Amino acid sequence: MRAYLSVFRMRLRMETQYRGAMIGGILCQMFFGLVLVALYRALYAGKPQALPIEHVTTYVWLQQAFFRMLLSSDPDLLDKIRSGNISYDMCRPVNMYWFYYARIAAQKMMGSLMRGIPMLILAFLLPKGWGLMLPASVPGLVMAVIALALGLLCICALENITMGFTMLTLDPRGMQGVLNLLMITFSGNLLPLTLFPDSWQRVITALPYAQLLDAPIRLYTGEYDVAYAPGIIGLQAGWTAVLVAFGMWMWSTNRKRMIVQGG
Amino acid sequence: MNTLKLYLRSMGMLLKSHLQYPASFFMQTIAQLVMEGGEMMVVILIVDRFEQLNGWTGGNLFFFFGVMSVSFYITEFFGRGVTGDFPAMVRTGKLDTLLLRPRGILTQVLCSGVDPRRITCIAVGVAALVMGSTLSGVEWSFLKALALFEAICMSCMLILGLFLIEAVFTIHSVKSVELVNALTYGGRSACQYPVDIYPAPLRVLFTVVAPFALTQHVPAAYILGKPLYGWPGWTAFVTPLSGAAVFCIMTILFNRGMRFYRSTGS
Repeated sequence: MRAYLSVFRMRLRMETQYRGAMIGGILCQMFFGLVLVALYRALYAGKPQALPIEHVTTYVWLQQAFFRMLLSSDPDLLDKIRSGNISYDMCRPVNMYWFYYARIAAQKMMGSLMRGIPMLILAFLLPKGWGLMLPASVPGLVMAVIALALGLLCICALENITMGFTMLTLDPRGMQGVLNLLMITFSGNLLPLTLFPDSWQRVITALPYAQLLDAPIRLYTGEYDVAYAPGIIGLQAGWTAVLVAFGMWMWSTNRKRMIVQGG
Repeated sequence: MNTLKLYLRSMGMLLKSHLQYPASFFMQTIAQLVMEGGEMMVVILIVDRFEQLNGWTGGNLFFFFGVMSVSFYITEFFGRGVTGDFPAMVRTGKLDTLLLRPRGILTQVLCSGVDPRRITCIAVGVAALVMGSTLSGVEWSFLKALALFEAICMSCMLILGLFLIEAVFTIHSVKSVELVNALTYGGRSACQYPVDIYPAPLRVLFTVVAPFALTQHVPAAYILGKPLYGWPGWTAFVTPLSGAAVFCIMTILFNRGMRFYRSTGS
């Protein structure tokens, strides 16, 4: 356990190194957020919906702020899979799955917090109807933060499954592309899940992708009542357990049939 | 003419090399299809919920989406050297080898990359165009077809020109500048929808700085029979030329920038 914690801490520090690139990234993400907010405002002007516009803009900003949590993968691991250097990792006296789980968790957490917090502050300063609204209630905010932490655990399990596929195909671009697209669609990044057709809601909110950011955001905006929070958190934990189990099974099967690309 | 022949030959060679790994190529092409299909699904879901956007019907919106994705992905298909590979060429010093050859740098950069996976994205765009024009009841005429053709060609030049901004920055600073993405990819996502739905600052940005509104929305609105801002019909053939203008300006700046190029030495 100590080994994984220190890997986690090392990666956290590593992520804080590239601050220059971060500012460009934040400004770019802010711009994308503003365009989306403008689009939804225009749509609302034509046909107002039951869901208030503030909820939609808050949804957009939280999604933009934590974008790095969704789409970022471990570049070293990809390289190692391609070059065959992954065989060195098999010599380490640690479980490979958890070793990389700790690394990706640190990368996703620090990467998204460093970009997310400044962005949320900026979004909060925007005029009403454009920016981020205050959380519906204090318990709602607490639950949203807990749900976000669980969402992080869930996304790391998904990322390791994607990596499991990469170990099979050696080429990250095909399968990874499809899986990532499923993720950004059904996690609400392309279009808030709250704006998907009402008849789809029961299915899409039960998918693992909705546990990453959608569930925390809905707790934040108050769309999910705090009273239901334990159930939601239970669902998140359940999905995380299932996905971790599946990922570990994949990695151990891959290990048995792995052909190292010698070089 | 010689240059064109050279370009076509390099395209042929690169295509062949991409097809050497058919399984991988096939998977990546499918991934692209899913990606662009997802974007299209978002527009369909938006139309399903909101029905119209500032007076534009669902069919109109599909048409605007189609014009954007066809022109953006044709550019990425044939201009991969500029839209994708250039920053890496500067960083790794691969650009140095181009300086030794008796051809223009921009020509060689364009000859060095192709991205055939984008074919499925273009297909999705074409499907959106067909769907959009059918739903909007467009009566095609020679002039309208010409306007669409011009809009797509000029948009491709505009997009290449915008990516050249990034290239010029890269020449000066070695690092690629992420902020330019706001104009290129940001322009793509924003201008999938007609520009008149946006507040004034964004409208100005996409009319004056990155004139997607002039190259795409004016002619597309003319084809749909709902002129943008009520401008007369002939503007649909004049305003797209701004795409060529942006491309020319950026080519000049690119060549000027190359004079300051210092190899990274690696």
